[in-house]
Amino acid sequence: MSFPIEEVTGEWDRSSLPANIEFGDRVWVERPQAFARFISRRKPGLRLGDDVRAYGWTVFNVEPEATLTVGPRSVLVGAIFMCAERIEVGADVVISYGVTIADSDFHPLDPEARRLDAEASAPYGDPSRRPPVAHAPVVIEDGAWIGIGAIVLKGVRVGAGARVGAGAVVTREVPAGAHVEGNPAR
Amino acid sequence: MTVLEHDWFPRPVTDTVTVGERSWLYSSYACHHNRGRITIGADCGIYNGTQFELGPQGEVQIGDFSTLVGAIIATNGSVSIADHVFIAHEVFIAASPWAQPPCDARGPLATSTGATDPPVVIGSGAWIGTRAVILAPARIGRDAIVGAGTVVSGVVPDGATASGNPAQIRVRR
Repeated sequence: MSFPIEEVTGEWDRSSLPANIEFGDRVWVERPQAFARFISRRKPGLRLGDDVRAYGWTVFNVEPEATLTVGPRSVLVGAIFMCAERIEVGADVVISYGVTIADSDFHPLDPEARRLDAEASAPYGDPSRRPPVAHAPVVIEDGAWIGIGAIVLKGVRVGAGARVGAGAVVTREVPAGAHVEGNPAR
Repeated sequence: MTVLEHDWFPRPVTDTVTVGERSWLYSSYACHHNRGRITIGADCGIYNGTQFELGPQGEVQIGDFSTLVGAIIATNGSVSIADHVFIAHEVFIAASPWAQPPCDARGPLATSTGATDPPVVIGSGAWIGTRAVILAPARIGRDAIVGAGTVVSGVVPDGATASGNPAQIRVRR
Protein backbone atom coordinates (compact mmCIF):
# COMPACT_ATOMS: atom_id res chain seq x y z
CA MET A 1 0.00 0.00 0.00
CA SER A 2 1.74 3.13 -1.15
CA PHE A 3 -1.23 5.45 -1.51
CA PRO A 4 -0.10 8.86 -0.21
CA ILE A 5 -2.46 9.67 2.65
CA GLU A 6 -1.69 13.38 2.40
CA GLU A 7 -3.46 13.40 -0.99
CA VAL A 8 -6.77 12.93 0.83
CA THR A 9 -6.13 15.00 3.91
CA GLY A 10 -5.33 18.37 2.36
CA GLU A 11 -1.74 18.14 3.63
CA TRP A 12 -0.20 17.68 0.21
CA ASP A 13 2.52 19.97 -1.13
CA ARG A 14 1.23 22.98 -3.04
CA SER A 15 4.63 24.05 -4.34
CA SER A 16 4.16 22.30 -7.70
CA LEU A 17 0.96 24.20 -8.49
CA PRO A 18 1.02 26.99 -11.10
CA ALA A 19 2.00 30.40 -9.67
CA ASN A 20 -1.24 31.99 -10.87
CA ILE A 21 -3.26 30.09 -8.27
CA GLU A 22 -3.60 32.31 -5.19
CA PHE A 23 -4.48 31.02 -1.74
CA GLY A 24 -5.74 33.09 1.17
CA ASP A 25 -4.97 32.12 4.74
CA ARG A 26 -6.01 28.71 6.10
CA VAL A 27 -7.35 27.47 2.74
CA TRP A 28 -7.89 23.70 2.80
CA VAL A 29 -8.15 21.68 -0.42
CA GLU A 30 -8.60 18.00 0.30
CA ARG A 31 -7.12 16.51 -2.87
CA PRO A 32 -4.59 17.89 -5.38
CA GLN A 33 -6.60 16.37 -8.23
CA ALA A 34 -8.89 19.40 -7.92
CA PHE A 35 -6.32 21.29 -10.02
CA ALA A 36 -5.68 18.63 -12.69
CA ARG A 37 -7.66 20.55 -15.30
CA PHE A 38 -6.45 24.04 -14.38
CA ILE A 39 -4.77 25.54 -17.48
CA SER A 40 -5.46 29.26 -17.05
CA ARG A 41 -2.82 31.80 -18.12
CA ARG A 42 -4.54 34.70 -16.33
CA LYS A 43 -3.07 36.29 -13.21
CA PRO A 44 -4.69 35.11 -11.13
CA GLY A 45 -6.40 32.24 -12.87
CA LEU A 46 -7.82 31.05 -9.59
CA ARG A 47 -8.07 32.73 -6.23
CA LEU A 48 -9.36 30.98 -3.11
CA GLY A 49 -10.11 33.38 -0.26
CA ASP A 50 -9.32 32.97 3.43
CA ASP A 51 -10.71 29.83 5.12
CA VAL A 52 -12.13 28.31 1.92
CA ARG A 53 -12.64 24.55 2.20
CA ALA A 54 -12.76 22.37 -0.91
CA TYR A 55 -13.48 18.65 -0.58
CA GLY A 56 -12.17 15.86 -2.77
CA TRP A 57 -14.89 15.94 -5.41
CA THR A 58 -14.01 19.52 -6.39
CA VAL A 59 -12.82 20.22 -9.95
CA PHE A 60 -11.34 23.58 -10.95
CA ASN A 61 -11.50 23.26 -14.75
CA VAL A 62 -10.24 26.73 -15.69
CA GLU A 63 -9.49 27.36 -19.38
CA PRO A 64 -6.52 29.45 -20.67
CA GLU A 65 -8.31 32.82 -20.70
CA ALA A 66 -10.48 32.24 -17.65
CA THR A 67 -10.54 33.40 -14.04
CA LEU A 68 -12.31 31.75 -11.11
CA THR A 69 -12.54 33.44 -7.72
CA VAL A 70 -14.00 32.08 -4.48
CA GLY A 71 -14.65 34.37 -1.53
CA PRO A 72 -13.72 33.81 2.10
CA ARG A 73 -15.23 31.00 4.20
CA SER A 74 -17.02 29.42 1.27
CA VAL A 75 -17.41 25.64 1.34
CA LEU A 76 -17.03 23.68 -1.89
CA VAL A 77 -18.24 20.16 -1.18
CA GLY A 78 -18.62 18.80 -4.67
CA ALA A 79 -18.44 21.68 -7.13
CA ILE A 80 -17.29 21.02 -10.67
CA PHE A 81 -16.38 24.42 -12.06
CA MET A 82 -16.29 24.53 -15.86
CA CYS A 83 -14.83 27.99 -16.40
CA ALA A 84 -14.08 29.41 -19.86
CA GLU A 85 -14.23 33.13 -19.00
CA ARG A 86 -15.19 34.13 -15.45
CA ILE A 87 -16.92 32.55 -12.47
CA GLU A 88 -17.15 34.53 -9.23
CA VAL A 89 -18.21 32.86 -6.01
CA GLY A 90 -18.75 35.23 -3.10
CA ALA A 91 -18.15 34.88 0.64
CA ASP A 92 -19.87 32.31 2.88
CA VAL A 93 -21.29 30.38 -0.07
CA VAL A 94 -22.13 26.69 0.35
CA ILE A 95 -21.98 24.46 -2.72
CA SER A 96 -23.12 20.94 -1.79
CA TYR A 97 -22.45 17.54 -3.35
CA GLY A 98 -22.49 16.90 -7.10
CA VAL A 99 -22.94 20.46 -8.37
CA THR A 100 -21.83 21.68 -11.82
CA ILE A 101 -21.29 25.38 -12.56
CA ALA A 102 -20.45 26.32 -16.17
CA ASP A 103 -19.97 29.74 -17.80
CA SER A 104 -19.96 28.43 -21.38
CA ASP A 105 -21.63 25.84 -23.60
CA PHE A 106 -18.03 24.79 -24.47
CA HIS A 107 -19.23 23.47 -27.84
CA PRO A 108 -21.49 25.24 -30.33
CA LEU A 109 -25.19 24.45 -30.55
CA ASP A 110 -25.63 25.38 -34.21
CA PRO A 111 -25.50 22.09 -36.16
CA GLU A 112 -23.06 23.24 -38.86
CA ALA A 113 -20.71 24.87 -36.33
CA ARG A 114 -21.05 21.71 -34.24
CA ARG A 115 -19.68 19.57 -37.07
CA LEU A 116 -16.70 21.89 -37.58
CA ASP A 117 -16.10 21.88 -33.83
CA ALA A 118 -16.25 18.11 -33.63
CA GLU A 119 -13.62 17.72 -36.37
CA ALA A 120 -11.35 20.48 -35.00
CA SER A 121 -11.44 19.03 -31.48
CA ALA A 122 -10.91 15.42 -32.54
CA PRO A 123 -7.71 13.78 -31.17
CA TYR A 124 -5.76 14.61 -34.37
CA GLY A 125 -7.79 17.69 -35.31
CA ASP A 126 -6.64 21.30 -35.52
CA PRO A 127 -7.93 23.11 -32.42
CA SER A 128 -7.25 26.50 -34.03
CA ARG A 129 -10.12 25.77 -36.43
CA ARG A 130 -12.67 25.52 -33.65
CA PRO A 131 -15.57 27.94 -34.15
CA PRO A 132 -16.17 30.53 -31.43
CA VAL A 133 -18.43 29.63 -28.54
CA ALA A 134 -20.37 32.13 -26.46
CA HIS A 135 -19.40 32.51 -22.82
CA ALA A 136 -21.25 34.45 -20.13
CA PRO A 137 -19.91 34.88 -16.60
CA VAL A 138 -21.55 33.21 -13.61
CA VAL A 139 -21.78 35.07 -10.31
CA ILE A 140 -22.79 33.39 -7.04
CA GLU A 141 -23.24 36.17 -4.49
CA ASP A 142 -22.43 36.15 -0.77
CA GLY A 143 -24.25 33.66 1.41
CA ALA A 144 -25.98 31.78 -1.42
CA TRP A 145 -26.42 28.02 -0.99
CA ILE A 146 -26.39 25.67 -3.98
CA GLY A 147 -28.15 22.34 -3.40
CA ILE A 148 -27.10 18.75 -4.08
CA GLY A 149 -26.82 17.90 -7.75
CA ALA A 150 -27.79 21.36 -8.98
CA ILE A 151 -26.53 22.70 -12.33
CA VAL A 152 -25.89 26.43 -12.80
CA LEU A 153 -25.47 27.47 -16.43
CA LYS A 154 -23.82 30.38 -18.21
CA GLY A 155 -24.85 33.97 -17.60
CA VAL A 156 -26.58 33.21 -14.31
CA ARG A 157 -26.35 35.45 -11.26
CA VAL A 158 -27.44 33.79 -8.03
CA GLY A 159 -28.28 36.63 -5.67
CA ALA A 160 -27.05 37.08 -2.11
CA GLY A 161 -28.56 34.63 0.35
CA ALA A 162 -30.49 32.75 -2.34
CA ARG A 163 -31.28 29.05 -1.95
CA VAL A 164 -31.02 26.75 -4.98
CA GLY A 165 -32.75 23.43 -4.30
CA ALA A 166 -31.41 19.93 -4.89
CA GLY A 167 -31.30 18.92 -8.53
CA ALA A 168 -32.28 22.38 -9.78
CA VAL A 169 -31.17 23.40 -13.27
CA VAL A 170 -30.61 27.16 -13.11
CA THR A 171 -30.72 28.96 -16.46
CA ARG A 172 -31.66 32.49 -15.41
CA GLU A 173 -31.07 34.98 -12.62
CA VAL A 174 -32.06 34.03 -9.08
CA PRO A 175 -32.96 37.17 -7.09
CA ALA A 176 -31.30 37.82 -3.73
CA GLY A 177 -32.98 35.81 -0.99
CA ALA A 178 -35.11 33.76 -3.41
CA HIS A 179 -35.55 29.98 -3.19
CA VAL A 180 -35.71 28.15 -6.52
CA GLU A 181 -36.00 24.49 -7.42
CA GLY A 182 -36.84 22.15 -10.27
CA ASN A 183 -35.86 21.89 -13.92
CA PRO A 184 -35.88 24.57 -15.16
CA ALA A 185 -35.46 26.24 -11.77
CA ARG A 186 -38.20 28.67 -10.76
CA MET B 1 -11.87 -4.47 13.21
CA THR B 2 -12.76 -5.22 9.62
CA VAL B 3 -9.81 -5.61 7.27
CA LEU B 4 -10.49 -5.36 3.55
CA GLU B 5 -7.81 -7.43 1.84
CA HIS B 6 -8.27 -5.60 -1.44
CA ASP B 7 -8.08 -2.13 0.09
CA TRP B 8 -5.84 0.56 -1.41
CA PHE B 9 -6.68 3.22 1.14
CA PRO B 10 -4.14 3.18 3.97
CA ARG B 11 -6.57 3.37 6.86
CA PRO B 12 -8.49 0.53 8.49
CA VAL B 13 -12.25 0.30 8.61
CA THR B 14 -13.11 1.44 12.14
CA ASP B 15 -15.00 -0.57 14.75
CA THR B 16 -18.13 1.45 14.06
CA VAL B 17 -18.42 -0.30 10.68
CA THR B 18 -19.68 -3.88 10.35
CA VAL B 19 -19.59 -5.75 7.05
CA GLY B 20 -21.65 -8.95 6.79
CA GLU B 21 -20.79 -12.32 5.28
CA ARG B 22 -19.97 -12.35 1.57
CA SER B 23 -20.50 -8.59 1.29
CA TRP B 24 -18.11 -6.42 -0.68
CA LEU B 25 -17.05 -2.95 0.50
CA TYR B 26 -14.80 -1.42 -2.15
CA SER B 27 -12.54 0.47 0.27
CA SER B 28 -12.24 2.06 3.70
CA TYR B 29 -12.15 5.26 1.65
CA ALA B 30 -15.96 5.05 1.77
CA CYS B 31 -15.70 6.06 5.44
CA HIS B 32 -12.92 8.64 5.36
CA HIS B 33 -15.29 11.45 6.44
CA ASN B 34 -17.46 9.18 8.52
CA ARG B 35 -18.21 9.76 12.22
CA GLY B 36 -21.28 7.51 12.53
CA ARG B 37 -22.14 3.82 12.59
CA ILE B 38 -22.57 1.57 9.56
CA THR B 39 -23.98 -1.95 9.58
CA ILE B 40 -23.95 -3.81 6.28
CA GLY B 41 -25.77 -7.15 6.10
CA ALA B 42 -24.85 -10.26 4.11
CA ASP B 43 -24.35 -10.52 0.35
CA CYS B 44 -24.31 -6.76 -0.29
CA GLY B 45 -22.24 -4.89 -2.86
CA ILE B 46 -21.01 -1.42 -1.85
CA TYR B 47 -19.08 -0.19 -4.86
CA ASN B 48 -16.58 2.49 -5.85
CA GLY B 49 -17.88 6.02 -5.29
CA THR B 50 -20.05 5.23 -2.31
CA GLN B 51 -19.38 7.60 0.59
CA PHE B 52 -20.74 7.48 4.11
CA GLU B 53 -20.74 11.06 5.40
CA LEU B 54 -22.39 10.50 8.78
CA GLY B 55 -22.33 12.80 11.77
CA PRO B 56 -21.83 11.43 15.31
CA GLN B 57 -25.54 10.50 15.59
CA GLY B 58 -25.61 9.17 12.04
CA GLU B 59 -26.37 5.50 11.45
CA VAL B 60 -26.76 3.48 8.25
CA GLN B 61 -28.23 -0.02 8.39
CA ILE B 62 -28.29 -2.10 5.22
CA GLY B 63 -30.04 -5.47 4.98
CA ASP B 64 -29.08 -8.44 2.80
CA PHE B 65 -28.56 -8.63 -0.98
CA SER B 66 -28.61 -4.84 -1.42
CA THR B 67 -26.46 -2.95 -3.93
CA LEU B 68 -25.06 0.59 -3.66
CA VAL B 69 -23.38 1.33 -6.97
CA GLY B 70 -22.05 4.69 -5.77
CA ALA B 71 -24.30 6.59 -3.39
CA ILE B 72 -23.38 9.45 -1.08
CA ILE B 73 -25.17 9.37 2.27
CA ALA B 74 -24.83 12.61 4.27
CA THR B 75 -26.82 12.86 7.49
CA ASN B 76 -26.62 13.07 11.27
CA GLY B 77 -29.62 10.72 11.54
CA SER B 78 -30.71 7.24 10.67
CA VAL B 79 -30.81 5.70 7.18
CA SER B 80 -32.32 2.24 7.01
CA ILE B 81 -31.99 0.31 3.76
CA ALA B 82 -33.79 -3.05 3.68
CA ASP B 83 -33.09 -6.23 1.67
CA HIS B 84 -32.78 -6.51 -2.12
CA VAL B 85 -32.58 -2.74 -2.55
CA PHE B 86 -30.81 -1.35 -5.63
CA ILE B 87 -29.30 2.15 -5.48
CA ALA B 88 -27.66 3.36 -8.73
CA HIS B 89 -24.71 5.67 -9.48
CA GLU B 90 -24.45 9.13 -7.91
CA VAL B 91 -27.54 8.85 -5.76
CA PHE B 92 -27.63 11.25 -2.81
CA ILE B 93 -29.37 10.50 0.46
CA ALA B 94 -29.12 13.57 2.68
CA ALA B 95 -30.70 15.41 5.57
CA SER B 96 -30.54 18.75 3.78
CA PRO B 97 -30.35 19.97 0.18
CA TRP B 98 -27.23 21.86 1.28
CA ALA B 99 -25.52 19.02 3.11
CA GLN B 100 -21.80 19.14 3.94
CA PRO B 101 -19.37 16.50 5.16
CA PRO B 102 -19.34 16.00 8.94
CA CYS B 103 -15.59 16.46 9.22
CA ASP B 104 -12.39 17.00 7.34
CA ALA B 105 -8.85 15.90 8.03
CA ARG B 106 -8.48 18.57 10.69
CA GLY B 107 -11.38 17.15 12.70
CA PRO B 108 -15.12 17.61 13.19
CA LEU B 109 -16.75 20.72 11.79
CA ALA B 110 -18.86 23.10 13.83
CA THR B 111 -21.62 22.71 11.24
CA SER B 112 -22.06 19.02 12.11
CA THR B 113 -22.50 19.14 15.88
CA GLY B 114 -26.23 19.91 15.77
CA ALA B 115 -29.33 17.89 16.48
CA THR B 116 -30.10 14.43 15.15
CA ASP B 117 -31.54 14.57 11.64
CA PRO B 118 -34.87 12.94 10.69
CA PRO B 119 -34.78 9.38 9.32
CA VAL B 120 -34.76 7.86 5.84
CA VAL B 121 -36.26 4.40 5.40
CA ILE B 122 -35.94 2.49 2.12
CA GLY B 123 -38.14 -0.61 1.90
CA SER B 124 -37.28 -4.05 0.65
CA GLY B 125 -36.91 -4.37 -3.10
CA ALA B 126 -36.90 -0.63 -3.77
CA TRP B 127 -35.08 0.61 -6.88
CA ILE B 128 -33.40 4.04 -6.84
CA GLY B 129 -32.27 5.43 -10.21
CA THR B 130 -29.11 7.32 -11.12
CA ARG B 131 -28.68 10.79 -9.62
CA ALA B 132 -31.86 10.64 -7.58
CA VAL B 133 -31.81 12.78 -4.44
CA ILE B 134 -33.66 11.50 -1.35
CA LEU B 135 -34.05 14.14 1.36
CA ALA B 136 -34.94 13.31 4.97
CA PRO B 137 -37.48 12.67 6.31
CA ALA B 138 -38.36 10.08 3.70
CA ARG B 139 -39.93 6.65 3.52
CA ILE B 140 -39.49 4.84 0.21
CA GLY B 141 -41.95 1.93 0.22
CA ARG B 142 -41.41 -1.74 -0.46
CA ASP B 143 -40.80 -2.38 -4.18
CA ALA B 144 -41.10 1.34 -4.94
CA ILE B 145 -39.21 2.94 -7.82
CA VAL B 146 -37.50 6.33 -7.66
CA GLY B 147 -36.62 7.33 -11.21
CA ALA B 148 -33.29 8.76 -12.36
CA GLY B 149 -32.76 12.37 -11.33
CA THR B 150 -35.82 12.45 -9.10
CA VAL B 151 -35.75 14.74 -6.06
CA VAL B 152 -38.02 13.31 -3.38
CA SER B 153 -38.79 13.50 0.32
CA GLY B 154 -41.74 12.30 2.40
CA VAL B 155 -43.59 9.10 1.62
CA VAL B 156 -43.41 7.05 -1.59
CA PRO B 157 -46.00 4.29 -1.02
CA ASP B 158 -45.26 0.58 -1.44
CA GLY B 159 -45.00 -0.28 -5.13
CA ALA B 160 -45.34 3.34 -6.26
CA THR B 161 -43.12 5.19 -8.73
CA ALA B 162 -41.68 8.64 -7.99
CA SER B 163 -40.19 10.62 -10.86
CA GLY B 164 -39.29 14.18 -11.77
CA ASN B 165 -38.07 17.26 -9.97
CA PRO B 166 -40.08 18.04 -7.93
CA ALA B 167 -41.19 14.41 -7.76
CA GLN B 168 -44.59 13.22 -8.89
CA ILE B 169 -45.79 9.96 -7.43
CA ARG B 170 -47.82 7.37 -9.30
CA VAL B 171 -49.31 4.40 -7.50
CA ARG B 172 -49.34 1.15 -9.44
CA ARG B 173 -52.74 -0.53 -9.65
